[in-house]
Amino acid sequence: MDITLFLQQFLNGLSIGSAYAIFALGYTLIFSILGIINFAHGAIFTLGAYFTYALIGGAFGFSGLLANAALPVQLPFALALILGSTLAGFVGVAVERFAFRPLRRKGSDSLLTVVSSLGVAVVIVNVIQYLVGAESYTFPANIYGNLPASFNFGTVEKPVPIRSIQVVIFCVSVTILTILTYLINRTKYGKAMQAVAEDSTTASLLGINSDRFIVWTFFISSFIAGLAGSLVGSSVSIRPTFGIEFGLKGLAVIVLGGLGSIPGAVLGGFVIGLVEAFVPADYSGYKDAVAFGILFMMLLIRPQGLLGRRFVQKV
Amino acid sequence: MTPQTTNNLAFNASPILEAKYLTRSFGGLVAVNKVSFVVNNNEIFGLIGPNGAGKTTLFNLITGLIQPSSGQLIYKGDKIIKLRPHQIAAKGIARTFQNIRLFGELSALENVIIGRHIHIKSGVFNGVLNIPPAPIEELKTKHKALELLDLVGLSDRAFEKAQNLSYGDQRRLEIARALALEPQIILLDEPAAGMNPNEKQYLSTFIRQICTQFNLTIILIEHHVPLVMGLCDRIAVLNFGKLIALGNPAEVRSDPAVIEAYLGAE
Repeated sequence: MDITLFLQQFLNGLSIGSAYAIFALGYTLIFSILGIINFAHGAIFTLGAYFTYALIGGAFGFSGLLANAALPVQLPFALALILGSTLAGFVGVAVERFAFRPLRRKGSDSLLTVVSSLGVAVVIVNVIQYLVGAESYTFPANIYGNLPASFNFGTVEKPVPIRSIQVVIFCVSVTILTILTYLINRTKYGKAMQAVAEDSTTASLLGINSDRFIVWTFFISSFIAGLAGSLVGSSVSIRPTFGIEFGLKGLAVIVLGGLGSIPGAVLGGFVIGLVEAFVPADYSGYKDAVAFGILFMMLLIRPQGLLGRRFVQKV
Repeated sequence: MTPQTTNNLAFNASPILEAKYLTRSFGGLVAVNKVSFVVNNNEIFGLIGPNGAGKTTLFNLITGLIQPSSGQLIYKGDKIIKLRPHQIAAKGIARTFQNIRLFGELSALENVIIGRHIHIKSGVFNGVLNIPPAPIEELKTKHKALELLDLVGLSDRAFEKAQNLSYGDQRRLEIARALALEPQIILLDEPAAGMNPNEKQYLSTFIRQICTQFNLTIILIEHHVPLVMGLCDRIAVLNFGKLIALGNPAEVRSDPAVIEAYLGAE
């Protein structure tokens, strides 16, 4: 493979990998605090993309309840992105409040919560479809304002053009990863979150309001999902189910990285992103197969994932 | 450590915690049955009784982990039933567990730092950007936590994962973590369980020491009778959820109901 092509694929891989990483981080935060996989995460990713699309004034098509509707305002993309992701965060909080907390209060088996999250995912996807139809929408090309369509990471003779959106995705994701790492390692909230994750009863006896931490965890992870959804959506196009597919990829990422491990989710995201990028163009239809192939290999060789803890039976 | 001197302390102390007709039933079983008592400020209050007498249930009621079926709990003049566990902890009631509950994956130091949660004021913004007062506060918190580890004799194990500590060390770490809360009352659930006679002797001295040093009120559940008799200012005896005796060690020891229900059965 020639060096410019290699570099190009590498940078593309880093970009999509960073999106996988922040998306998987949302899964991981909820997994570590509640011990469940939240299948609604992918649906919230989709929802964030639709919110952002609506907020930049994007028009919806001819089918669905809101056919031909558009908001009277047209926000700049950056503002719409933040607002749309915040709305996604609130939806995440509502999901926790109405679909998860009642089960937790009753002390239900965590499998029931997982089923509940699947139900929520189906409901969200169907509501989107009901409101704005199943067709796909593409973000306008000019949303990045003055940014050029692509950046050249090579030389004039040997150009390595990377689409601006890929660069934006990478920068935003790395910023989010950095902030979260500091949040978890440097503030009392990070420590408290670890405490709630390990034993929420004991945490509450030390003056930590466990429920509030769980709500915040859902807000943060759903906000990030919305952010990732909007960014990835703006680089391709959005459909009601596109988050579910992304969500399945996210599962591969967290299993690869190690369930419940935050550095694992990040590493797993980049690995899957890079591996996919190097699937030859002729076989690009098999990208998912490659990602899940890695997942199966991992489960056979090292079931706890790259950075996960070995599951130890607690006594 | 003689009962005489400590009893004098209890006499002129003011009430800090009061249980009034506290009752909790689970289905048909009445685990705690109309229990009333007053715990005075700065006293060491023992809670004894056979297995299943309702001692731990009483601790769970005081810390808000479960709600009473009826009755009232008054802490420093305020009703505290209906408060959530974290609110009661913030008011100054800490506890340890019979089956130790540390954050096993975290270090001894981190366990104690988490106990400081309610005393750390820096918000997310300062913490993430590491701007004042966050860095100074972080240092102070760490310093305080190390002091507490030193107090319980664990300063050389500060960076060890809690789950890798020995049983006795874990018990002491749990006490250090409870002290980190700067509580007024600390509830110790069988602190001497699994300890050898030497360790028990040491623990007894230690409890007396923290009681004086931090002006603490201590309520402890303990099965080891000599330890309870030697350490406590007053003792409440529970049997089948009912309070059958309350008084200083000498009174409790000679109480016929206690002898029949508990001491006689030994």
